Amino acid sequence: MTLASLAGRLTAGLRTRAALGMRPLTAPVIIFISLGFLIGPQVLGFLPATALAGLDVVVSIGLATLGVFIGLAVGREGMAARRLFVAASVEGCITIAIVAWAVIALLGVWQLPTNLPPVLVAMALGLCASASAAPATDSDGDAAGRVAGRVADLDDVLPIVLGGGLIVLAGPTPRSALDGALLTIVLGLAIGVAGWLLIERAEGAAERGVFIIGCLALLGGCAAYLGLSPLLTGLAAGWLWVLAPGRCDLLMAGELRKVQHPLIVLLLIATGASLEPSLAGVWLFAPYLVFRLAGKLIGGWTASRIAAGVAPSDLGSYLIPPGVIGVAFALNLNQVTHGDAGAIIFAVALGALASELMALFVTPRHGTA
Amino acid sequence: MRRVFALIVTVGVVSLVVSRGSPDLSAARATGLALGFALIAAALTGAFFEKIHLPRVSGYLIFGLLCGPYLGNIITRPMARDLQIVNGLAIALIALIAGLELNYARLKPRLASMTKLGVVTLLLLYATLGPLTWLSWPVLPIAPEATGAARLALSILLTTIIVSFSPTVTIAVIADTRARGPLAETVLATVVIADLVLIIVFTVAMQMVRWATGASVPGDVSLLVRLSWEIFGSLAFGALLGALFAIYLRLIGREITIALLGLCVVLSELGPLLHFEPLLAALAAGLVVENITPSGDQLKEAVERGALPVLVVFFAAAGTSLQLDALAIVGLTAAAVSAVRLIAIRGAVAVGTRVSGVPREIGDPVWMGLVSQAGVTLGLTILVASEFPTWGANVQSLMVALIALHELVGPVIFRAALARAGEIGKMDEGAPVSEQGELDAEPLHAD
Repeated sequence: MTLASLAGRLTAGLRTRAALGMRPLTAPVIIFISLGFLIGPQVLGFLPATALAGLDVVVSIGLATLGVFIGLAVGREGMAARRLFVAASVEGCITIAIVAWAVIALLGVWQLPTNLPPVLVAMALGLCASASAAPATDSDGDAAGRVAGRVADLDDVLPIVLGGGLIVLAGPTPRSALDGALLTIVLGLAIGVAGWLLIERAEGAAERGVFIIGCLALLGGCAAYLGLSPLLTGLAAGWLWVLAPGRCDLLMAGELRKVQHPLIVLLLIATGASLEPSLAGVWLFAPYLVFRLAGKLIGGWTASRIAAGVAPSDLGSYLIPPGVIGVAFALNLNQVTHGDAGAIIFAVALGALASELMALFVTPRHGTA
Repeated sequence: MRRVFALIVTVGVVSLVVSRGSPDLSAARATGLALGFALIAAALTGAFFEKIHLPRVSGYLIFGLLCGPYLGNIITRPMARDLQIVNGLAIALIALIAGLELNYARLKPRLASMTKLGVVTLLLLYATLGPLTWLSWPVLPIAPEATGAARLALSILLTTIIVSFSPTVTIAVIADTRARGPLAETVLATVVIADLVLIIVFTVAMQMVRWATGASVPGDVSLLVRLSWEIFGSLAFGALLGALFAIYLRLIGREITIALLGLCVVLSELGPLLHFEPLLAALAAGLVVENITPSGDQLKEAVERGALPVLVVFFAAAGTSLQLDALAIVGLTAAAVSAVRLIAIRGAVAVGTRVSGVPREIGDPVWMGLVSQAGVTLGLTILVASEFPTWGANVQSLMVALIALHELVGPVIFRAALARAGEIGKMDEGAPVSEQGELDAEPLHAD
């Protein structure tokens, strides 16, 4: 492909995205992971390794908050649209299977040395690959975009739940994945119950703020203390707050909306700063990117048979941007393994950047019509 | 009932997690757990204390004490240490609130009499406690063998530490009870003025002790220079930051909470690097914002909204570090010293009120606000213990026990005084009611 044709494809892609009301080049993943890497210990050193270790507690709480976001969204969307939830889960399963199978096969062929067992690396990459970003469509007329957006929201559930088990396997405490995942969910639900009892009946906004911050810190703190997944504790609590009677979910959503953007920025910068380029990371990046794209396109095609309203060829294209969840999961894995998942986080972060760029070229055909 | 159930669930969850974690692996990751537990459970304890007409601050402290490493051990020693991460930020925020409460125009008519009250009280405390300390020196468990000049210098030093007050607790009780009025302002001004004087006297007393014990020669002025830099430099540093912040409020006036946190981080983290005292610097910053610009109320609202979580964690952490073992060892001596201190403060304030011309209904209860001891006292004690490890360790044991007593009792007495003066909740009069109708059901997108 010549440079001129590449530029032509890019322009066409941007035009299509603009027509669909999708964001052009300004994905936060691209900006803040790059910024984090730049200011991190590997390049400028403004954020040294010691400061990064100090950020661990904030990252854990941030991951739990992200889980709460998803839990609240799933509680609302998932109950109302079970078909979409099934479609999103099918799409997620297909992506996980394709990426994990490809990575494990290639690791066997390459005999690439990794710090973690190859099956765990493959599953981790599969889970990271399965999450998608909701397309940022702002045109009211793009019904397909809205359906894709809901699928993208709901396809985060599967990697978070399965990831809850995987984090336990990768963690320092010997425990079965099922036990660990169940314990994570029980802790999330218990903290959710405490929050539900307190948040709505708080005496004033200041006290409510204390309870909300306390719940999020507990969700992240309990998981970090036991080497579990804060994303899953948060998901369980968020889901419970939607199902529980009262306005707890609305109050929580109102408060969280204020911290949503700073939180995502923080997680992405922490991810960027945690990156340590390695040969294993570069080797894993290529299959991760290619097979994630294949998984999304095949998974999207299959899921569109279940979720009506979007063309089979288009759903996969909408789901290419990876969003934050995959990166957040890799960051969590790296925390739990004390840096042994460096190659995974490198491959996933690089894959996220490349997928965002790839999404500029692989645009839904609906927009060009 | 819902709150009790929530507290039971929270304590149950944390107990389960702590019991299932491996101490060596989990110690480094305890911060989030400790923060979350302290925020929820200490806030609930504080709210319960308020219901029974005790200060919330005491509730946070008692929570820390009950769940901390000395009793319940739900908050283990590493978790208690991790909780201290908010200390710097909390002290800066608390002092900033104090500065914002000191409006010169409002205080001007009473400033001279308040200063006179503070100075007379301090002089009388030295006049009574100083000789008593000297006389009882042989029975105090510190350095009974000291005689002559050494005994005199040590007595002055110990008197200074025993007299010292706690601006942090005073301000926290005022902020927590939303109190405003002549009593709150008089106590605050007295505590701040007295502690400034006490820090200077402490420096001179340390120099005397060094000379009397042969640790240095007289005429060493480096400490005085350092002290001047610390006090006046801190005030100038704080005033500069306060002015810059006031300009920010006037010109930009958005994201005040984030800007405020940034200000507190600079005051608490950058200040000590330049040998500035964060408490003084933050106090000066608050004073400038309150008195130089008309934007004080705007900032005050943001500070007060954000102060509760910081206060909860700060005092819960203080509760976890209350050393009950020290109280058990030197408890009787500490109780006796505390009783004498209390009587001396009460008498000194009574005389000071009459001499200064402060109305008796305001001046007489001021002693109730001077009982607390915390960070300043501990700081002075640590300085002594680190420079004179032999007898300094004995001073530390006695003072830690005294701090434990006064930190528990002081806020209760001060709150009772504020309640009796009818000043509780006056800060809110005329304040805008917080909006509740901002909720909507718009879906959240995490990506």
